[in-house]
Amino acid sequence: MTTTTPMERLRGLRAVGELAAAYHRVPALLAELLDEAAPADRDALLGRAGRLLAGLDLDEVLHHHPATQMVTVAITGQSTVAGLVDPLTAELARHGLLLRPLIGDHGGWLHDLTDPRGQLLPERPDLSLCLLDAETVFAELPSPWRVEELAEAAERVLERLARLAAEHERLAPGLLVLNTLPLLRRHAGQLVDHASRARLGAVWREFNARLLRLTERHRSLVVLDLDPLTAATGPVEDARLACYAQVRYTAPVLAGYAREVGHLTRSLTGLTRKCLVLDLDNTLWDGVLGEDGPDGIAAADTLRGEAFGAFQRTVRQLASQGVLLAVSSKNDRGPVLETLRSHPDLLLREPDFAEVRADWLPKDGHLADIARQLGIGTDSLVFADDSPGERAQVRFGLPEVAVLPLDGEPALHGERLLADGWFDVLRLTEEDRARPEQYRLEGERHRLREDSGSHADFLHQLGVSVRIGPPEPHEYPRLVQLTQRTNQFNLTGLRLQPGDPAAVAEDAGRLLLAIRAADRFGSNGLVGALLGRHTPDGLLLENAWLSCRVLTRGIEQAVLAALLAESRAAGRPAVHARFTPTAKNHRAELFYPELGFTETARTEDGVLFRHDLECPPEPPPHVHVTLDLGWPTDAWAR
Amino acid sequence: MPGPDSLAGFLRLVRTELDLELTDRDAETELAALPGWDSMNLLRLVTLLESGSGRRLPVPTVLAARNLREIYAVLEEAA
Repeated sequence: MTTTTPMERLRGLRAVGELAAAYHRVPALLAELLDEAAPADRDALLGRAGRLLAGLDLDEVLHHHPATQMVTVAITGQSTVAGLVDPLTAELARHGLLLRPLIGDHGGWLHDLTDPRGQLLPERPDLSLCLLDAETVFAELPSPWRVEELAEAAERVLERLARLAAEHERLAPGLLVLNTLPLLRRHAGQLVDHASRARLGAVWREFNARLLRLTERHRSLVVLDLDPLTAATGPVEDARLACYAQVRYTAPVLAGYAREVGHLTRSLTGLTRKCLVLDLDNTLWDGVLGEDGPDGIAAADTLRGEAFGAFQRTVRQLASQGVLLAVSSKNDRGPVLETLRSHPDLLLREPDFAEVRADWLPKDGHLADIARQLGIGTDSLVFADDSPGERAQVRFGLPEVAVLPLDGEPALHGERLLADGWFDVLRLTEEDRARPEQYRLEGERHRLREDSGSHADFLHQLGVSVRIGPPEPHEYPRLVQLTQRTNQFNLTGLRLQPGDPAAVAEDAGRLLLAIRAADRFGSNGLVGALLGRHTPDGLLLENAWLSCRVLTRGIEQAVLAALLAESRAAGRPAVHARFTPTAKNHRAELFYPELGFTETARTEDGVLFRHDLECPPEPPPHVHVTLDLGWPTDAWAR
Repeated sequence: MPGPDSLAGFLRLVRTELDLELTDRDAETELAALPGWDSMNLLRLVTLLESGSGRRLPVPTVLAARNLREIYAVLEEAA
């Protein structure tokens, strides 16, 4: 074993020119670096690692690791924004992503983000970060100024930002990220009377509130609220660097901002974590069940017990928004289940957990089992444990699991859990809230499968029905999210952006269909989507997505069989489809050929298939399909 | 981290903390001509040197420095 620090290993790799080739090891190295560093040093160390990584040749990394997701990020703002590159490089690298930064002109954000022929937009950024600060408003003021003038200036700036959001949405495919403006003492203190200061405070907060509300109107706009962030980081600026170098945010604020953008990018690229796996002893309750007995543990009523109770409330809050919970505990199973069922202190009970693993086997095995049972990848897990030994074992055995370092201070458990936005999504949907219930039903389906003689028998008893049709506008967010979360059955790796469904709906030449499924246990909700384009030689399927929750039930075959039969009945010449291999969709590689499609071309972008419709596939007999394409049958039979 | 007490020590600090490949002759090299130099490095140095020494540096003088020897001179002056 090596005794060098992760930073030294990164430097060592760079020194021998092997950092690009080792890019796949960087996430684990950075996780170790963060875990080992003192809390006060984490941001600075990560920034330094970011500087080292920012020097990498992107092409070289992609040459060694072609499946790496490169994220193009336009970075512009009111002041000097170059300081964001290092922390953002590191934050994306933590998630295995590769940053391609595009830096805008100093202070030229409005032009940068609305000029279709400027430096940034033609590069089609996945994200545009526009880092605003108080100067965005104060630059508009005369000297001296009064609160009324500030209110007018704030109004003008808000109008400008609203126009920016609309223009960016029209011109660029990616998300625009704005932020609330921190009000500083050196602004408020310029007013000597408290009545004016109160008015300033009110006007300022109204500005920030209306800025935040712009996200209600613009689907591809995100406004980061800097208040909670700066409350945790300390000073917003160093007045000297602000004055001499137009640097208006300190390194800790930029580090926090970069962390949030990192998790936002995760969710856009389908990497949102889905399940929180919790240790029990000294994680969820105070004490060790095996030694202290059920009467000796606490999660309420004692000084430390209350802290664990607060942590349980935080966990339950996450669960209410669709985060799955599971237990991994080194304990005898019987007492654990008994405690989860009947201990008076606990807020979280047995039914709150999708899986409970309690035995004496290594925890990396627990986590692999939990992922398998839930039908998700181990890279969708977050693991929280107060024991350094267990964390090291999981980090070594399953480096793709996000490991939360809890310690002996339970009052900090909640903060540690939320320090990284592992479960962040762009918008929460009804399906998210219903997810724990969905997984409970999944358990019932699992039992039916175990009781059934064969898989075919199980499917027959399951009674699957599928409804295919254009999505309703209220389903757009869920549909976009589905494309962002789906990896295994995502036939080209494409993910829709928030504005896409509405744009496709308006385009008569294109087609977007939602797949909804149900069975005897209840509705599965919106489980898949098809994206297509009408061509003179029939329909081109640009992509297909199906949630891994419902794979292997014949739904994907039934959907395609119905679509092919419909095309044949309508007299269209063919149906075309595309498959592009990604890091995770290899299981779907033979999907089209097995339905009778023949390969027509093979390019860098993948394989093109054609089905001549002479012999459409037999639909799986156990699936009942309703197909409503939502257009007149001859609309595109050209 | 204590502040450097010699020009050589200062160069060593710059080399490791800013990840620059420097030789001892680079004390007089024009900053912009240092391999891998970017303008953010001056600001990083201010933060680094101030947190290391606990002293406040005259930022405009650091920003106006033409080479690393001049920055070290500012540091000595502030000591």
